[in-house]
Amino acid sequence: MSTPSVTITVDGAPIEVNPERMLLPELLDKGFSIPHFCYQESLGSDGNCRMCMVEIAGKKRPQIACDTPIVTGMEIRTRGESIEKVRRDILELELINHPVDCPICDQAGECSLQDYYMEYGLYQGKVDKKEKHPFDKHIDLGANVMHDQERCVLCQRCVRFCRDVTHTDELCVAGRGDRSYITTVPGEKLHNNYAMNIVDLCPVGALTSKDFRFQQRVWFLATSPSVCHGCAKGCAIDIDHAKSKYHDDTIYRFRPRKNPEINGEFICDAGRLSYKETQTNLLKTCHIRKETLPEAEALDRWRAILTEDEYPIVVLADANLYTEELAALQAFARTLHARLYAPLEAYHDPAFGDDWLKSPQRAANSEGVKRLGIATEMPTINDNTLVINVNHPDGHRTANRIDLLTHQPDEDTGRVPARLTLPIAPWVQSSGHLINEDGIKQYCEQVLRRNDPIPTLIERLKQVTDEEYDKHFDNRETAS
Amino acid sequence: MSFTWTRAHRAELDALKTRYTSPKALVLPALWKVQEQEGFLPLEGIEAVAELTGYSKAEVYGVATFYTMFRLQPQGRYTLQVCKTLSCALNGQGTILDHLKERLGIEVGETTPDGRFTLTQVECLGSCGTAPVMQVNDTLHEHLTPESVDTLLNTLMDKGGSL
Repeated sequence: MSTPSVTITVDGAPIEVNPERMLLPELLDKGFSIPHFCYQESLGSDGNCRMCMVEIAGKKRPQIACDTPIVTGMEIRTRGESIEKVRRDILELELINHPVDCPICDQAGECSLQDYYMEYGLYQGKVDKKEKHPFDKHIDLGANVMHDQERCVLCQRCVRFCRDVTHTDELCVAGRGDRSYITTVPGEKLHNNYAMNIVDLCPVGALTSKDFRFQQRVWFLATSPSVCHGCAKGCAIDIDHAKSKYHDDTIYRFRPRKNPEINGEFICDAGRLSYKETQTNLLKTCHIRKETLPEAEALDRWRAILTEDEYPIVVLADANLYTEELAALQAFARTLHARLYAPLEAYHDPAFGDDWLKSPQRAANSEGVKRLGIATEMPTINDNTLVINVNHPDGHRTANRIDLLTHQPDEDTGRVPARLTLPIAPWVQSSGHLINEDGIKQYCEQVLRRNDPIPTLIERLKQVTDEEYDKHFDNRETAS
Repeated sequence: MSFTWTRAHRAELDALKTRYTSPKALVLPALWKVQEQEGFLPLEGIEAVAELTGYSKAEVYGVATFYTMFRLQPQGRYTLQVCKTLSCALNGQGTILDHLKERLGIEVGETTPDGRFTLTQVECLGSCGTAPVMQVNDTLHEHLTPESVDTLLNTLMDKGGSL
């Protein structure tokens, strides 16, 4: 069925629009810029902020576009002196009690209020700063969300998210008139696993993330599209990172990236905070048992062990690896006449799963593993088997082992030290595809370009499969 | 602290329930009953209203804070509500208020340490012809003078011991 369409006139030019939607979403989709606070794509219209006024021919007063149905032939004006005056007046009301603290506000640079003021406001304020009604400035709402009541424009996106999306209803508007404020019931906190999405939804600096606030100015951040590796759901994310003076390329936050097929425009809090794991406790040096050794010596060792010939070889692959890396491991295993496994049982975490965006399967590319035909059970490993453990969480049981790890091994778990341990790059320093549990394939860009890069898995494999070593393995094939 | 409806209130609310298509319509009457029972709206009472109406606790809290006549803090035994609107203001409401503040030793919005009196100011009590007026709990007192206020306070103190 095709979308119905009617013709309306906007700013003097005819356009085709879908009459089943309200005016504002259609105009925004068609590229018109209309200021708005309370309307939000996932939450719909609320009609409380009055910011999205447009002029409609035949109507005495400007109307809010978010709650105006489309009628064939209607004539809309989104620009012009009179509509801009209306917007300026509404902004003036919004800003009566708003503090002038943009220089210390984390929202600065991505704040609708600030943008609209620059576009439509720019009036001489009539309210003396001393007359502004002060509200509380740092209220810990729980779940890493900090609330600054002074900065709030009462669009209620956060209230509606907790009511309509998570159905947890923690927030309300208390009081009335210019003394209204957003709050939880006294003594209670936000208690849902998606609460930090209200920080993204907030069009101003009233809700900020405890984790991100005061860490970095948003205009210094570069954004790389990627995919969350927290579970098999594969929520689309944007990764904000910066290489600031005297610092190496560092990730500051994950934000949901719109993908209607998977996560809409939200992610869970656990996924959002998992950026920390991509840059803390990384393994950077090579080890023999527990002794560190220089990279060059470790490489000789890496080649030597593989050419020793005497072992049956098992490769254990992390199911978080990109499809390209898994395919490279498959080729590597073939060259070595090794068997490749990616045991999935270790990633099963029923306590993590829910019925929305959190999957109990914590491996980001479990579907990629299955599609490549890689065995997913844990093989029986004998003492004389050489295990090449590529970052698998359960791969450290036997001593005759080479570890390729992204993170420093946790010594407390009774782990047997490996014959040789080599660092490989974590996923944010590499690139490739992931296939989520619903079979949707997505690409992850390489996010970080560090001054001290760690070899990616594919680079590591190349170190031992260059021509000379290929020849060695070819000979072995002929011999066997 | 816990909250339970009195049997009479429960019965009244059940009867009211049959009048409306949704129990959500009961949010204001139910909040009134809580305030009548407890003298203010404790969080436990707000929770009971949420349970009764099907609203979330946060929504009921929003309603309770919206209306100025709902009180979220415990009040004194006698709540003195001095009218501050035009007729009373012109007829000496200021003198009455100052006198009350001095006698009770508290500011507007405060309660005496013995928990007897809470002093508040309210908008028009609808008795401009007899200004200045003050409502004490549910009783209206008219044509106030500092002397009549003293007499009234003395009567109230006699009822409940000394100030």
